[in-house]
Amino acid sequence: MIVKQLIEKIEGEAELDFTFNKGKVEDVKINFGFYRGIEDILVGKSPRDALVITPRVCGICNHAHLLAAVRALENGYENAGVNVEISNKANDIREFTLACELIQNHMKWFYMTILPQLEKLLGEVSGENHALKASYLSSTITKALAIFAGQWPHSSYAVPGGVTCDPTYVDVMQAENLVDESIRFFEQMVTGLPLEKYLDMDGLSSLHEIGGDFGRVLQLMGMNEMTEIGHSHDRFIVFGTCMFSKPGKSLATTVSNVDVRYVEEAEQNSTMAKAVSYKERLYEVGPLARAMVAKEPIVKSLHKRYKDSLLTRVFARVHEVALLLNYSKKLLKNLTLDEPSCTLSGHLKVLDFEGVGVVEAARGSLIHKTTVKEGLIENYEIIVPTQWNLSNGNDEEQGIAAEAMVGSTTTEEASFIFRAFDVCSVCTTQ
Amino acid sequence: MNDYSFQFKFTFLRILNSYSVFKKGEVMGIDKQDSVKSLFTAQSAKVDTNRGDAYYEALYTQCRARLDDLKKLAPLNNRMDFKESIEDEGLERRDFLKWASATTAMLMLPASFTPLVAEAAVMMNRVPVIWIELSDCAGNTEALIRSDGPKIDEIILDIISLEFNETLLAASGHQAEKQLEDAVEHFKGKYLLFVEGAVPMGLNGQYGTIGASAETFHDHLQRLAKDAAAIVAVGSCATFGGIPAAAPNPTDAVGVMDVVKGKPIINIPACPANPSNMVGVILHYVLTGGIPELDSLLRPKFAFGYRIHDNCERRAHFDAGEYVEEWGDEGAKNNFCLYKVGCKGPMTFNNCSIIRYNEGVNWPVGVGRGCIGCSEPDFWDKYAYERPMANANIKAPTGGVEKTVDEFGLGLLTAAGVGIAIHAAASAVAGKKDNEGEA
Repeated sequence: MIVKQLIEKIEGEAELDFTFNKGKVEDVKINFGFYRGIEDILVGKSPRDALVITPRVCGICNHAHLLAAVRALENGYENAGVNVEISNKANDIREFTLACELIQNHMKWFYMTILPQLEKLLGEVSGENHALKASYLSSTITKALAIFAGQWPHSSYAVPGGVTCDPTYVDVMQAENLVDESIRFFEQMVTGLPLEKYLDMDGLSSLHEIGGDFGRVLQLMGMNEMTEIGHSHDRFIVFGTCMFSKPGKSLATTVSNVDVRYVEEAEQNSTMAKAVSYKERLYEVGPLARAMVAKEPIVKSLHKRYKDSLLTRVFARVHEVALLLNYSKKLLKNLTLDEPSCTLSGHLKVLDFEGVGVVEAARGSLIHKTTVKEGLIENYEIIVPTQWNLSNGNDEEQGIAAEAMVGSTTTEEASFIFRAFDVCSVCTTQ
Repeated sequence: MNDYSFQFKFTFLRILNSYSVFKKGEVMGIDKQDSVKSLFTAQSAKVDTNRGDAYYEALYTQCRARLDDLKKLAPLNNRMDFKESIEDEGLERRDFLKWASATTAMLMLPASFTPLVAEAAVMMNRVPVIWIELSDCAGNTEALIRSDGPKIDEIILDIISLEFNETLLAASGHQAEKQLEDAVEHFKGKYLLFVEGAVPMGLNGQYGTIGASAETFHDHLQRLAKDAAAIVAVGSCATFGGIPAAAPNPTDAVGVMDVVKGKPIINIPACPANPSNMVGVILHYVLTGGIPELDSLLRPKFAFGYRIHDNCERRAHFDAGEYVEEWGDEGAKNNFCLYKVGCKGPMTFNNCSIIRYNEGVNWPVGVGRGCIGCSEPDFWDKYAYERPMANANIKAPTGGVEKTVDEFGLGLLTAAGVGIAIHAAASAVAGKKDNEGEA
């Protein structure tokens, strides 16, 4: 028996086709019926146009696309022999705005998707308007982002060689104030703990100290055996670098290196989304992957007991917010404003190059690959995190999210497991 | 400001938009050059901001009556009455009134209307809004829940999520579909239909389907538009096709006004559209029961009646001929004009330079990045690159290929900085230029 389940509350549209056998989910096919053709639109354009076009792939992770595009160009220039050296200031500003984007994304996912769905699934409705909390935090942190980037969504303030903005101390103070307000929100509403105390926790045993909305979710999930469901292949991959994550893959807890050249895309049946694999195997990307590869103590402690269950996955994403808030505060403090904003000429003409840009976006590794010939884009590939998690699998094994849903007894429970992957459909099909 | 409709700007816009007026190789005469010069240096407001006391008194009475009627209605679906909560919290009330005052100015109304606007904001929860997404990236929804002002996020989340908005609503799947059906039935003829995203017409509409019956985006839009009071197309994609419609338009995407006929349509373009403008349109509907004054592209004049260039904070630098030449150079550090690194402010109608983004904290030009013209039709092909049009080396609307700005004798730049504007604009409309020296 096949049951179709439509997924709302994501960017774009998605549909799950469940096959039930003896009351449990045996197979899941994930379909996206939506396509705009952005990779085709990029062909024939000047490579710098990718800086304004690629953010429009997605309304919630547009910044990640901008940075992936800029890095792809910079990588291409380097491959063509140009010396690209970005100042610490420019790099820190880029990292800061990216951190802000991840924070607002995770918190919106938590308050607008996870918390309400969990309440509904368990019949534990609190009647609170969680969406307002998400809106407040994301307004605050995106204001900090907009101080450096001009606007959110969709700003193209990063250019090859650096950034266009030249902030003053007043701007930095304003941003610091907004980050502090976001931290205050996180402490009061999300965890009920001072941030430093939260970050000191390194083991499973301290989990019960977490209060606030996060504490409530963990408790509800723990009491309802959500540590026993949602397991996938326990294989994680990370291609980007930032303060708390480095590239690598983790097979359960064994970490090894990766090379982005082994990433391959393939067409799939009955969906506009392409599948993606690394050396022909499927991997999970996202905050859990980053934590496993970086060996984040508290996540590893959870994983040791519960493997890559639903609870571990949800925990990792909210935990990342704490790390990001801490990181953004440090970035602002160490910003050296008298360094140059941009070290490459805007008139620089590099006519032939191939470049790859990698960014750790909210949902996982985002890769932009481009080939430029005679000053125009010949080919542009955008490989998004959701493609990794939602690829439909092959003859040997299920896809990552599909595997997590197999064995569920109801479509509601399976959909909730699906949500833990934080799906974005507009990126997946472009 | 007076109503200053000068026809040359109209012609200039028609040229840019119609791609057919000038023949290849036609050289611009001196009188046309002068007209282009005046385009770049004159006030260009298309919106009348002072219509006389009698007009505003009549409007006030009309709005007052409308608000009184709305007050008789209970808030839809037992929603909160925000008036009380706003009156309670003193400090927040002051912030709310400051917002109301700024919004009144944005709507081009005199200050006496501020209390009406404040009341109208609270009344927004008497107006049903259904928000659908087609071939989009959800950027406009993301922008909208960005809190336009104090309490406004609560109001927005209240009025919009409870009717239907795919990204925000609590239900999903069949329950969501039922909620939409119920909303349409209940508010037949009365709801504002907000549309985000383009309509893909290629492959029989199969590039975008929704729901278990795989209804195409086109059919979905037509079905919901049928019973709407008015349709508000939000963002560049819904208004003019946007990014999916950029060359080569793989999915044959078009805007809402290309497929929906026989209904009032309001276009709020930009990528993403400014949430203040979205709220402004709803407020206008609450205040007057009608749609605001629109320009020829169906954009509300209160927001799109003047150019970025007219109110830009860097305008003095343009006039003085001070430009950023390279990212990060001395000019960039001193906030010089971004024209030479591709700012399309002079050709773009929108109010970003005044109301900015993210609660007014900043905007692209503010961080040293030029305007890409995102509220204009086909801007992805015409404007969205980091070079002035003269440097674009693209096929200009007139069919010529442009030379660089410098080849036109930049050394002759006068203090007014108009020289560059003449050269660039002239070349943009005149096709290939040989030695039409300015000597």
